[in-house]
Amino acid sequence: MPLEDLIPQLTDTAYSLKDVEKAFLSRGGTAVKALDGVTFEGPEGMITCIVGPTGSGKTTVLRIVSGLERADRGTATINGKDPATLVRKIGYLTQRHTLFPWMRVCENIALPLEVKGVPPEDARSQVAGICARLGLAGSGDLYPHELSGGMQQRAALGRLLASESWYWLMDEPFTALDERTRHQLQHLLIDLVRERKLSVLFVTHSIDEAVYLADRVVVLSAGPGRVAESFDNLLARPRNRLSQEYGQVMERIRTRIESVLGEEE
Amino acid sequence: MTDRNDQRGTWADRPVGKILLGSAFPALLVVAWWLGIRSGTAVIPSFSAVIGVLAHPLEIPPDLYSRSLAFSLMMTLIRLALGFGLGVATAVPLGFLAGKSRVVDRLFYPLVQIARPINPVVLLPLVTVLFGLSSLASVAFGPVDAWKYDVADQVQLAMVFILWWGAFFPVFLSTVHGVRSVRTSYLETMRLLGATDVQILRRVVLPHSLPEIAHGMRIAMGMCWLVLIAAEIFPGTRSGIGYMLCTACKTSDYQYTFAAMIVIGITGLLIDVAFARFERNAGHWQALER
Repeated sequence: MPLEDLIPQLTDTAYSLKDVEKAFLSRGGTAVKALDGVTFEGPEGMITCIVGPTGSGKTTVLRIVSGLERADRGTATINGKDPATLVRKIGYLTQRHTLFPWMRVCENIALPLEVKGVPPEDARSQVAGICARLGLAGSGDLYPHELSGGMQQRAALGRLLASESWYWLMDEPFTALDERTRHQLQHLLIDLVRERKLSVLFVTHSIDEAVYLADRVVVLSAGPGRVAESFDNLLARPRNRLSQEYGQVMERIRTRIESVLGEEE
Repeated sequence: MTDRNDQRGTWADRPVGKILLGSAFPALLVVAWWLGIRSGTAVIPSFSAVIGVLAHPLEIPPDLYSRSLAFSLMMTLIRLALGFGLGVATAVPLGFLAGKSRVVDRLFYPLVQIARPINPVVLLPLVTVLFGLSSLASVAFGPVDAWKYDVADQVQLAMVFILWWGAFFPVFLSTVHGVRSVRTSYLETMRLLGATDVQILRRVVLPHSLPEIAHGMRIAMGMCWLVLIAAEIFPGTRSGIGYMLCTACKTSDYQYTFAAMIVIGITGLLIDVAFARFERNAGHWQALER
């Protein structure tokens, strides 16, 4: 396989949405607009967080970028390409129903390798490496429902790692977790992004999560979703939530985001 | 009413508790039987006579036009396995097709809903006219030589057909429902991984539907068991546990009637226990879904 197929083209932009509109039919048959001309870019090898109130179309943005939904108008591309053509390059992670409950953890992680036709011996050693990296050693033979929520999401991250996808679309994956576990997984995600040069589009309700994770923040207005503001988060890493500088910057950004959300109300 | 979940971990869920509770009504039946014997009625055989029949399953009953108890049970189970197996083998693939394709579903829906409520036993006279007394042996080796293949010659096509009918509809409908209940997010995950349709079917649709299919199979097996015992009473049958029961009734050999009833009951219970276990194993993962 040519090298350029394995490594993403080194352009500045991974995700590009231009004037994306999307409407859904209600039960009564009327069209309800979910997105109204959404335009933003997400940089390559970094984390772009989308925040916005309920109903702002955050999940719809992810589904369009993943190629699972088609935009009614406008274009959504990944690295300049139609997402539907990027088979196995896109990883998608949601808050619930991420793992297949009838498969053991190791089978879940190995699934992308099985789909690709990797020989079982090679797959086993790769899965063992991923489990060790994610702190899942000893959990491979368990079923997902035998794991805590945090461990389940670690296993789901393991499946994304095994898929060797470059573009991770994450829909509030840590929302249901307790604070300590959420912080651990946020830290793990940042490490993985740096190690693997991943480009992440991350949807969250939490301003704190957006500030902690994001290199770029995209704020959506209340539905129908429009981009209210998009800005780069230039806080130095590693970000220490307890430092004075972190607190000042976080407060400044929080005020900025909340003022944007306040305008909608 | 007590919630079933409240019973978890109580004595009712322990093996001894299960056995004690499960044997309460059978014990009452034995008491009723004993009272019947004491009343001196001729249609209630003694315990010893029935136990004598059960203790010698290979013995051919004297004065009764029937094969041994063991052979009768074997013939019944062979018919059951064949009819039920054919029912499952046709219902599952068609159920998958109907679950995935609206065209196939709309093609089958009216037919299934019209045919499903018809008790297969009432079809037996009609089916016997259609198939005659054809058996597996007469189809495979010709009507002239069929008699040489004792077991195969006693598996009548008419009986296999009504068993197929009894098994098909519950399994078909549960398969359709199982396939439709697969979460879209699971299918989308597989598509994003680049899985083929066969991989999606094998790794997601089939395991996700299996608990529903297993439930349908359990219901179908119960239906087939009822149908088969009733069908073996019909003319043209020469063996089977239902046939033995009926023949013994006609000749007033009630010890065989009772022995056959006990075998039918216990075999039915064992089959249901096996299918219940299959159903439980197939759906072991559903704790996460709830």
